[in-house]
Amino acid sequence: MTAVDSLFLHPILLLALGLGGAFLLGLLGDRARTAYGLTLGVLAWMVWIPARWLWAFVQEGAPPQEIFTAGTPPPFAINLRFGLEEAALALLVNLTGLFTALHLKDALLGQGRRAMAVLLVAVMALGGILLTRDLFNLFVFFELAVISTAGLVLLSRDERALGAGFKYLLVSQFISVLLLVGIIFAYHATGTLNIDGMAAANLGLTQGGSLAFFFIFLALVAELKPFPANGWALDIYESAHPGFSALFSAATGAAALYAVDKLLLVGGSAWLPLATGIGITTFVAANILALPQKNDRRLLGYSSIAQTGLVLAVLGQRDILGEATPFIAFGILVSHAVAKAGLFWLSGLVAGRQLTDWAALAKRPLLLFAFACFIALLAGLPPFPGFYAKWELAQVLAREGRLALLALVLLGALIEAGYLFRWFGYALKREAPATSPTCPAHKALPVLAALAAAWALAWLWGDLSAGLFGRSNLLLALPLLFALGFLLLDWLPAWVKNTLAIGGLVGFFLLTWDDYDPLRLIFALIFTLGGAITLLASYHAHGRRIGFYPATLLMFAGLVMLVQAQDAFHFFAAWELLTLGSYFLILRGKESEPHALSYMVFSLGGAFLILAGFALAAAGAGVPNLYLVDLVDLVEPIAPWVFLLLALGFMTKTAAIGLHIWLPGAHAEAETDVSPLVSGILLKAGLFGLFVLLMTLGPQTLYGVDLTHALLWVGALTALLGNLLAIFQEDAKRLLAYSSIGQMGYALFGLALMNHLGWLMALLFVINHFIYKSMLFLAVGGVAKRTGTREMYRMGGLIKLMPLSFIAVLIGIIAMSGVPPLSGFGGRWIFYNAIMDHDSRLPMVILFMAGPIAFLYLFRLIHTIFLGQLKDELRRVKEAPFWIVVPQMLFVVMLLVFAVVPGLALRQVDAYISTFFPTGALQWEGGLITSQYGYWNPVAIMIIVGVIFATLFAWLLFVNRRAQMVKQFNIVFSAERPYRPETTHFAWNFYAPYRKAMGFLTQPFVTRFWGTVTDLLHTAGDLGRRLYDGNGQHYAFHFLAFVVIVFFVGF
Amino acid sequence: MPDIAQMALATGFLLILIGFYGALTHRNLLRMIVAFTLAGTGVNTVIVAIGYMGGRTAPILDATVPAAQAVARIIDPLPQALVLTAIVIGVGVTALMLAYALRLHDRKRSLDIRQFTELKG
Repeated sequence: MTAVDSLFLHPILLLALGLGGAFLLGLLGDRARTAYGLTLGVLAWMVWIPARWLWAFVQEGAPPQEIFTAGTPPPFAINLRFGLEEAALALLVNLTGLFTALHLKDALLGQGRRAMAVLLVAVMALGGILLTRDLFNLFVFFELAVISTAGLVLLSRDERALGAGFKYLLVSQFISVLLLVGIIFAYHATGTLNIDGMAAANLGLTQGGSLAFFFIFLALVAELKPFPANGWALDIYESAHPGFSALFSAATGAAALYAVDKLLLVGGSAWLPLATGIGITTFVAANILALPQKNDRRLLGYSSIAQTGLVLAVLGQRDILGEATPFIAFGILVSHAVAKAGLFWLSGLVAGRQLTDWAALAKRPLLLFAFACFIALLAGLPPFPGFYAKWELAQVLAREGRLALLALVLLGALIEAGYLFRWFGYALKREAPATSPTCPAHKALPVLAALAAAWALAWLWGDLSAGLFGRSNLLLALPLLFALGFLLLDWLPAWVKNTLAIGGLVGFFLLTWDDYDPLRLIFALIFTLGGAITLLASYHAHGRRIGFYPATLLMFAGLVMLVQAQDAFHFFAAWELLTLGSYFLILRGKESEPHALSYMVFSLGGAFLILAGFALAAAGAGVPNLYLVDLVDLVEPIAPWVFLLLALGFMTKTAAIGLHIWLPGAHAEAETDVSPLVSGILLKAGLFGLFVLLMTLGPQTLYGVDLTHALLWVGALTALLGNLLAIFQEDAKRLLAYSSIGQMGYALFGLALMNHLGWLMALLFVINHFIYKSMLFLAVGGVAKRTGTREMYRMGGLIKLMPLSFIAVLIGIIAMSGVPPLSGFGGRWIFYNAIMDHDSRLPMVILFMAGPIAFLYLFRLIHTIFLGQLKDELRRVKEAPFWIVVPQMLFVVMLLVFAVVPGLALRQVDAYISTFFPTGALQWEGGLITSQYGYWNPVAIMIIVGVIFATLFAWLLFVNRRAQMVKQFNIVFSAERPYRPETTHFAWNFYAPYRKAMGFLTQPFVTRFWGTVTDLLHTAGDLGRRLYDGNGQHYAFHFLAFVVIVFFVGF
Repeated sequence: MPDIAQMALATGFLLILIGFYGALTHRNLLRMIVAFTLAGTGVNTVIVAIGYMGGRTAPILDATVPAAQAVARIIDPLPQALVLTAIVIGVGVTALMLAYALRLHDRKRSLDIRQFTELKG
């Protein structure tokens, strides 16, 4: 005897309570409030039953319950089953029902007890669909669901809902005829209506039985709103009350999916491919069609349809997923259900129906946070269930060679993430209406409940993934917890949080520094201590700076978890976490909405390539849990493909040419102290990935092409074009951003050389680029803050007003340009030695050409901002804020120290690289570094250059001692007022002649290419949605056409 | 000479097809609803025709049919009951559709399905 044997918890109450409650409401008379209280009470009871049972099934080991109505076993009476899956789904359905009732409070009180009765019947009918094992009974519950749905659609104030409800009834008539005819023929073939009995009789395999099954199957699948037979559902989503749409999307969808799942049991494995085919087609098509949507609820409708399709596709993979099926299918389903319910409820708080109207949420951080969580939940980002499900799904699909399906799943998911994050960008960045939305408790509560459920499920799925598959619960990862902790601390003033963040980064390094090999140590240093130094700049911010610290720390959590990752799962999880964090960070910039989106889409695309690469690698290595070191053992033919996928994925992060278009906007439009974080630090994640890749997989050949040689070319071209694009920028931060692209090209080139010094050079670039790019971004950001512009020709002559910023920029560009005496020279020196060891001449020549071009933009940077005439309106400009200058000065010191004693960082790494490339190591003796081609003495160089500089400077001072300072206004204008003032400024279009010569190389070919790709997708979506012309008869025709097409294609 | 069950079956399917054809070709909401009741009748005819299993006896448990052999010898009464249920549900849905048609007519003074296409795309 267990506690669940209590009569009050009997599963039949799930049906009896709904019906009984509805009847009771009928007897109640016109006391709306009492009726409403009764409704809530009944629903709460209906929530408690499955919740308690769920506990009993999981913790107390209760067996599944078989309920024989009329006391007779089937086929003479209907039986119900109530096991773990039913309890979980019933809990989902009834909880959604309860919170929907709460959200619908006004509408229900307005319509009176009849509406409440219909709601109870709807929830009861869905429970019946879940529990029943009888096919005809299933039909009855479906019809009840249809009728109650058609009733509840009318709760909406939107008059168009009337049409939508009728169209729904129209189509469901066709569906029910199909279902009934199928059921009776199935009965004829097997002599039973019991689902398990039919399964035992192999209905799907018998001659006439398979046609009967086909009818039943398609009728039930039609309830999942498959493409293209789903116009009716979209109309309901758009026009119904959002409270009801939440139920329709989350609960009805879940129940219908479970019905199809039960049915697949009857059909057997022969029907699985059909389910997958319908599911994946729907998933991809609905997501493409969602792209051009402007109405929030219709968009959610498309997304609902897509997610349901994905679950159907997963159910269709049951043959290979096996035991993992519930974990994956439920993972996607609950993510979808919770997120969709939450989003529909949220949409009830937003007055306007355009996506951009969600800007109303901008002033409500908690709701905005909920919005962000729901979107992450839908996009399958860590730590939410969809992430774990996505990972396991990819593993199995790759292992079984179903790569086309994997590709389609990832494509659809990417498109979906694209429109969801675009929407989030609108909410955060578009102009908020003057009045913020009213948010009564009964409408806020459901949203918050969904939010809580999202995190509870994240925990649960993490726990399950650790228990079932030997992965781990990401919510137990210390860095992630630390980042999430800042959500709770967001009420603190910014400087307190900044101190905590810096303390956390330093503390984490002290805690873990012993764990790393020398290579990882360099990256860990940059990610933790480097981050801490950069964060010093954030002390300048006042107020609370809501949202900054959770995002920043989320990015850092991802970064340190990336360095710590030993296996592919943790590596990928860290990768997605840092992507998510940096997206929120970039999105904070004033004008950064489109750039943040482009960053996110490219990054997620790259992440999916990495996911596919790892899955393929795990399949090739034949291990359930792929460790990064296992990549070493990969052989042809899989190894080169893994290499390609991973390299492409990592190169989206390093912005290799062709995948770079997100970077300039994202880095330039970010806030002053964010730019160094996402440039100096974040870009290194991609390089780290490439390091890991090359260390383990080494050179690979695909169709006769040496892939590292291809990388060499990519690196060289990236360096050339990045630098070339940088010299033509008017915007100082954009200039720096393009310069980063070029610098990453150098690093990629060094890595692809695949020799000792090449790697050392790449590592030197990792360190150098972090220091000088962070410093330059801060310096330029500080100048931009003071001058109010980022366009260089609007500045000029700031050397005296901002001397510290000038010093930082001066040191920075000396270091970057690679002239002696600073560390950039060391990089060059190692680089020249490295290419002596290699025989690819042409890319080398290209890389050489990139060098002088870098001089051009660096010269422009310092010359235009700090030298020349001071603008009149800038006469009162002060030095950059103290806290923005502090890290710059620290970086200056670091550069100088690193220039004198590079061995400090490099020596250990040099020795470590020798384990991969034994030959070509450098000799480190005292201050002298020797290669096989020459030597480098940093101290001597420093002294020599210092002496030369001092001499020249003294001489200049001497010869110019009588020079007269020319002030701005002792020039005579020729009485013309230029039409566009900037065109007369010497610093505008500074390198016009070069543009004439080489401008053809800077045509935005890549931007146009990706623009065309997105345009094509949008056009496809726009054409596709014309199918839904609003005519109910056409929708019915779509359904019949769907049946006929599936019959000929799949039957 | 086809037996009665087959004739009923053919009639039932014919009714379904007529109903579908009507529902897809008529623009008038009321005509469409009538078409659906035709199709519904067709379905019920089909169920009755199919539900009969040759060679078995009525589902009455008595001396001639002991409960132990019932499964093999009687006709499962359920399918016959299905028709009743289906009819009841059909009435409910038809009533609901008529109510909808009434409200739609109130709104636009028209029963033409093409009038109600504000929601699309």
